[in-house]
Amino acid sequence: MPFTKFTNLDFEQIKTSIKDYLRANSTFSDFDFEGSNLSILIDVLAYNTYITAFNSNMVVNESFLDSATLRENVVSLAKNIGYVPRSRTAAKATVSFSITTSENVPTLTLKRGLVCVGEASGTTYTFSIPEDITANVVDGSAQFNEIEIYQGTYLTKSFTYDGSLEQRFVLNNSYVDTSTLKVYVKKTSENGLGIEYNIVDNILNVDSKSRIYLIQEIQDEKYEIIFGDGIIGKKLGDEVTSDGTIITANYIVTDGRDGNGPSVFSFAGSIVKVVDDVETVIDPGNVTITTINPAINGSEIESVNSIKYYAPRVYSSQNRAVTSRDYEAIIKQIYPNTESVAVVGGEELDPPEFGNVLLSIKPKNGTYVSDFDKSRILSDLKQYTISGINQRIVDLKILYVEIDSAVYYNNSQISLESSLKTRVTDTLTKYSESIDLNKFGGRFKYSKVLQTIDNTDNAITSNITTVRMRRDLRSSINQLVQYELCFGNRFHVNPEGRNISSTGFTIFGETSTVYLTDTPTILLNNTAVTTATGASDLFLRRPQSIRATEGVISIFKIDSDGNRQIVVKDAGTVNYQTGEMVLGPINVTSTVKANDIIEVDAVPLSNDVIGLKDLYLVFDISKSQINMRRDVIASGDEITGNVFARDYYTPSYPTPKLIRN
Amino acid sequence: MAEQRISRSFKDISLSFVPHPVTKDLQIIKNENAIRRSVRNIVETIPTERFFNSSFGSDVRGSLFDFVDFGTASVIQRQISIAIENFEPRVDNVNVDVNPQPDQNSFEVTIFFDIIGQEFPTQEYTFLLEATR
Repeated sequence: MPFTKFTNLDFEQIKTSIKDYLRANSTFSDFDFEGSNLSILIDVLAYNTYITAFNSNMVVNESFLDSATLRENVVSLAKNIGYVPRSRTAAKATVSFSITTSENVPTLTLKRGLVCVGEASGTTYTFSIPEDITANVVDGSAQFNEIEIYQGTYLTKSFTYDGSLEQRFVLNNSYVDTSTLKVYVKKTSENGLGIEYNIVDNILNVDSKSRIYLIQEIQDEKYEIIFGDGIIGKKLGDEVTSDGTIITANYIVTDGRDGNGPSVFSFAGSIVKVVDDVETVIDPGNVTITTINPAINGSEIESVNSIKYYAPRVYSSQNRAVTSRDYEAIIKQIYPNTESVAVVGGEELDPPEFGNVLLSIKPKNGTYVSDFDKSRILSDLKQYTISGINQRIVDLKILYVEIDSAVYYNNSQISLESSLKTRVTDTLTKYSESIDLNKFGGRFKYSKVLQTIDNTDNAITSNITTVRMRRDLRSSINQLVQYELCFGNRFHVNPEGRNISSTGFTIFGETSTVYLTDTPTILLNNTAVTTATGASDLFLRRPQSIRATEGVISIFKIDSDGNRQIVVKDAGTVNYQTGEMVLGPINVTSTVKANDIIEVDAVPLSNDVIGLKDLYLVFDISKSQINMRRDVIASGDEITGNVFARDYYTPSYPTPKLIRN
Repeated sequence: MAEQRISRSFKDISLSFVPHPVTKDLQIIKNENAIRRSVRNIVETIPTERFFNSSFGSDVRGSLFDFVDFGTASVIQRQISIAIENFEPRVDNVNVDVNPQPDQNSFEVTIFFDIIGQEFPTQEYTFLLEATR
């Protein structure tokens, strides 16, 4: 038999191949017995082949961006197409404070480095500034207004350029926020920091006199600074035309996403007065800090998956925002806090808006992009976009998916039900963070969720899970407004109604809390059947000509006897086919939920819910129900199934709800 | 228990790698010698020593630093019997004698076995087990 199985990566298969070969080609016979000498030799050969095959496989995999798994290789491959992965980003807060001083000086300077200390979730975080800030002293008071402070520790690293080609300028810290990096070059004889060099990410408009540097990520998430060579960028050195050999790099090492949250700060900085070029630290006294913005926008270093996804897109965009993919790549560059971007050309809108591009951005922490960030993104985008095309950032529309899951477990295999429930919740939370969901055009994959729950623990025997989808209607209080709510998914239609339910709110002219409900308009041979009972009877018989594609939305309240009372019979329409609701015009005066939100939910026709067009899909674990149920059959408590059918039965279909709690 | 096989002829390579004095080829060991060598390999292999076959071998070495007495001898005896039973399907009627030799700090092991399906007499194989470090 020819020895041709070159692709085996399994030790046993390699061993079997060698044995097959020996069986056909040698006089030995003992290789089948594990104790034989020949078996030892075969083991060594197979192991050697296995290691070689594994290494070859690894080398080939690591040579391509799509298949590489080690971060340093992915970064290196991305570097080949000009992509610099994002570093960790420090959370930024905006604060103001004033210093009262008896010193007779015109200015006071807040020194770079530690400025404030803030606290979030019981952990103390330091906040620093990368550069000195000077304020004028007016009537014995210096105002430091709206200064941006960065979460992290301010560090300085100095290098002396020795002229050798092998010298590398490596910042020996992981977790550097490269946006805070300031690089200065000076001659040995000079005082101060020297001349500032600027970071560039491409060599456009760079000549031999440009004071620039590039950075690249190297091993262990550290960064290396690369200076010019005298052709592309100014060369370092002691020559008259050069700026010097002493390099100072100041940067902030940050906790990234963990640093988000602090809103109350205490002063810990250093204030100096400068007299005759001599700095003297002064006691700032009791400083009260006013927080303008709490610490936000801190993020982790760009993940390997993100690099693999964005590097080719950034390359293909060539710094031009033309197609929607270009926007996706460029916005991620200019606003690193982006989790996902949806771009819709104005020509696709109804009515079309030619010349407009609508952008919807999901930030990493939070739901909406602040007005400040919106204007910054739009202004940064201008340098990449085509003249005559306007961009508009529209707020995100989130479609939440909630599940109601009955998880059956074998109680003989677990010690605590609550810990199993926690594990199920943790697993689902992990799934909810996956790339399946957190993007525009995401899809909630029902079978995967069932599988995820089942695979959490061996003790879990099965689960029965139903799905609801929810939109949060942000109401305009005390205004007569028509609302349109799009779910982008077909609704499951119950002929008796109650297909949608909502949280409570109040409307003008009604003191009680009211809710939304619906009544399907059943069509029989294109004629509406109005009575609910008649409609459901017809539905049960199911002739082909009966369908319910639309329904009427009513507003009702619950009276003192607990009965439903219609307040507004025809408050809007719902299209079950397109998943669209039009409500009003109504005048909402208050809502039960905070932030003027009315939560509206519905049961999707398909359990695989998709995020259509500009809908951003979020799997909301916090509002999902996980009910742990003992599997009395599997655990041996009973074998007939009678108790199970009586006490532990769970329907697979969602129960229609009148009110959403 | 391992599947029992009817033996025909066994031919194994010698790990001494000393060339045959006449043919200058690698030496081979046959039949009862091959099996005896196999039994020795099984007993002397420490579990986890074989790649991807962690249970192969016997853990007699683990007992060599215990007291050299009949208690330890019986443990060793049991381990050797189980190992041969599990990994050498060509032998039957395995009988293991382990004699402690406290003065030499060693155990004298004698293994008796029959080769299945061959007309060889009962094989006997003796070796010393002692802690070398």
